[in-house]
Amino acid sequence: MGDDLIIKIDGLEETKKFGIKIGSLLSPKDILCLNGELGAGKTTMTKSIGLGLGVDDYITSPTFALINEYEGKYPVYHFDVYRLEAVDDLFDLGFDDYFFGNGVCIIEWAEKIEKLLPEERVIINISKGQKENERIVEIDGFGKSYERIVKELK
Amino acid sequence: MKVLSLDTSTLMSTCAIIEDGNLLGEYSLNRDMSHSERLVPMIKSMLAELDVKLEDIDLYTVAIGPGSFTGLRIGAATIKGFAHVFNKPVVGVSTIEGLAYNMPYNEIVVPLLDARRNRVFTGIYSWEKEELTSIEKPFVEDIDILLEKLESYPSICFTGDGAKIYREKISERFGDRARFAKLGQEYCRAVSIAELGVKKYKNGDFQDFYSLVPEYLRMSQAERQKEERAEKNGN
Repeated sequence: MGDDLIIKIDGLEETKKFGIKIGSLLSPKDILCLNGELGAGKTTMTKSIGLGLGVDDYITSPTFALINEYEGKYPVYHFDVYRLEAVDDLFDLGFDDYFFGNGVCIIEWAEKIEKLLPEERVIINISKGQKENERIVEIDGFGKSYERIVKELK
Repeated sequence: MKVLSLDTSTLMSTCAIIEDGNLLGEYSLNRDMSHSERLVPMIKSMLAELDVKLEDIDLYTVAIGPGSFTGLRIGAATIKGFAHVFNKPVVGVSTIEGLAYNMPYNEIVVPLLDARRNRVFTGIYSWEKEELTSIEKPFVEDIDILLEKLESYPSICFTGDGAKIYREKISERFGDRARFAKLGQEYCRAVSIAELGVKKYKNGDFQDFYSLVPEYLRMSQAERQKEERAEKNGN
């Protein structure tokens, strides 16, 4: 993977700005992985990324549905794979059709299914900072989209 | 005997009606992730334009895979629904065999469908006395291993979306020994599924709408674990 880029975000407003920026930099076939413990703000981040992708719908957590689909500038597929117990579950949901499809995939808890993901992807790890609403965002990945995003954020 | 046929194994939604060796109509649209929205309206429009009523259909044929997981489920569910209405028989036909059937030439025919991660769904076919014969039934294989395996054949016809994706690689290895399908042959065609389906039906090889299941041809968990272990050991 490439050189990590680490960014400190303070508060919800900044999270929103950051998410919108990331969303605006994504294009069809991109895969964005979101990792971080419960409460780190993965779904909150996804909502802002959705705004940047032109999704008008209210984005909710797909923890139980596993996949939610939205229409923005492109089709947006929002996954939460926290609940998946075996890799076979993924096949039974036809995930490959999404991962290799023509939309943008945003995957929460992507680290659980790393092996099945295409190599070209953007990885965002979110962790809590020292202050209450502070978040440390670490961006890693491989491929054109990752390079584009790192270049824009630097 | 009127036959209604579907193939949604790939991005191509295709449906056709054949009757006693004649093609009445075929309707195909190549659009991303749209089977669930387009397929039934396509069938409805084809039936209406041909003045064929659902009760006139005697047999249903469908491509059962391998291919896109979602596509196969939509195809199988749709054909089951139609067959259920008047309790008509259903024939499931291999998607790979259907693709090979598009190429009735005196050569080895190898359909390739992209299975992602450098793999293809494939099979090896030839023609004997007007009959498509399988040398190797559908399987999933790494593209490089497959091409290596094909070295023993003097000339090969490639078809399917994988032939497009790996065309350069194939040409590099086989040169003039490789030939490629033209646009009219390289996509899934419901008419080929219908014709193969009728043959199977006449041989008594058919099912009802309960028993038909797709053939996904994916690796079993045991196979994957074996592969993961091999990767860990650096093989």
